[in-house]
Amino acid sequence: MPNVEPTRVAILGGGKGGTLLLDLLSQVPGVELIGVADTNPAAPGIRRALDLNLRVTDNVVDLIAEQGLNLIVDVTGDPAMPALINQHKPPGAEILGGAGAKLVWNMVQHESTLQGQLFQAEKLAGIGSFAAGIAHDINNPLYLVLGFAEAIIEEHDPTTIRDLAQEIIQAVRRISTISREFTQYARQSISSEYVDVELNVKLEEAFKIAQYATVLQDLSVVKDYTGKQLIKAKPDELLHALVNLITNAIQAMDGKGTLTLATCDEDEVATVTISDTGCGIPDGRLEQIFEPFFTTKAPGKGTGLGLYNVKSIVGKNHGKISVTSEVGKGTMFRLQFPLEGQPS
Amino acid sequence: MSESGTDFLFGTSTGNGRVMVVDDEPDIRKVVRMTLQKAGYDVLEAEDGEKAIEVINTGENRLMLDVIICDIRMPKINGVEAIEYLRKEYPNVQLIVLTGFPDMDMASSFLRQGVVDYLVKPVAGEKLRDSVAKAMNQREIHRL
Repeated sequence: MPNVEPTRVAILGGGKGGTLLLDLLSQVPGVELIGVADTNPAAPGIRRALDLNLRVTDNVVDLIAEQGLNLIVDVTGDPAMPALINQHKPPGAEILGGAGAKLVWNMVQHESTLQGQLFQAEKLAGIGSFAAGIAHDINNPLYLVLGFAEAIIEEHDPTTIRDLAQEIIQAVRRISTISREFTQYARQSISSEYVDVELNVKLEEAFKIAQYATVLQDLSVVKDYTGKQLIKAKPDELLHALVNLITNAIQAMDGKGTLTLATCDEDEVATVTISDTGCGIPDGRLEQIFEPFFTTKAPGKGTGLGLYNVKSIVGKNHGKISVTSEVGKGTMFRLQFPLEGQPS
Repeated sequence: MSESGTDFLFGTSTGNGRVMVVDDEPDIRKVVRMTLQKAGYDVLEAEDGEKAIEVINTGENRLMLDVIICDIRMPKINGVEAIEYLRKEYPNVQLIVLTGFPDMDMASSFLRQGVVDYLVKPVAGEKLRDSVAKAMNQREIHRL
């Protein structure tokens, strides 16, 4: 990318529109966000800006008087705002307000809805690859229910009958746990809030789901979790990304090999690594794997959107993703997120 | 309930036939044991393919084991590998697959290899006993 001066942007209005713009612009290269102004200190955009360590203020004039400002985006909807901005803005700063701001706002919101639908579609397509694993894990306890119930029919001893009934109850509990896990995972994510998430907990949850991706399970799993790894993220999105990466790792090993899940923190950065001892990715392909619709799977087996979505989820949650791979040795994905301070 | 057959070395024989159930889940083995003991079979257990191979290579089992009921998804040596070994080393021992996977491709591949039945859990006791009876008949034919 050519080395150009970033466009310095201030956002006025911390409502839904301001928050979406903030999330979008904070990921765009070449944009430097100066801050957000809103008279309501509890506005979602203000809270989000604080998470991102941006300047927040309830005083619009303060923010737009900032020297070197290139663009003022006004999504307050306040009819008095244009006059106020014109009066106080530094020379050379442009204003995006009124119909122009509304158009951008609509486009951002539309894009955000589409992306949400894309995540959901790809997640549901992915669940298809768990079908055999889920059937297996439900059919086993179902067999216990049937077998123990058949035994009860022919049993006369009350103590034995009670023991067998107890076994049936346990088997039913196993089945309901599986169906609960999957309906939770499959539902459309409704939360649009960034909350404190323990990365280790999400990684463990993702591993439980991704395990269903293999039929002949013969994996050794190494877990090396350190610290609490508290980060700010949307929990459902993060889970989706982690399930995706672990599923890929398991599938790359064809069910046999070592899966290593590790977390560590260093210099305010939480790092997750997901490594496999699978087939690896050739050098020439590493560039392509994050592109939409790139897949090495057979037609109908993959959407080609998995890693593309993982990358955009990680980006939206202010993280970074990188990958190293060696053909025949395996692949390692590394995710890094800004660490949250421990809650006091 | 009779505990005959728990000792895989010197299990007391009922004379109706000896079956080994290979499954990593103890409760599944328990259900299979209850189901088959009701029909008078001796039942041995193994928790994975590796253990199954050890059991069949031990003492009189080499000669006395008639039927093996084998799960697919197991640690160490899985069902696919175990069945491949048993087909080669013990072609007269009859095999029944009992699995949670309703997988047609896998089923037809096993049946082509000469497996007697591919049963998907949950399977009713009656059906499992029929399947074992069929396997015992084929075992008799092989003995002739």
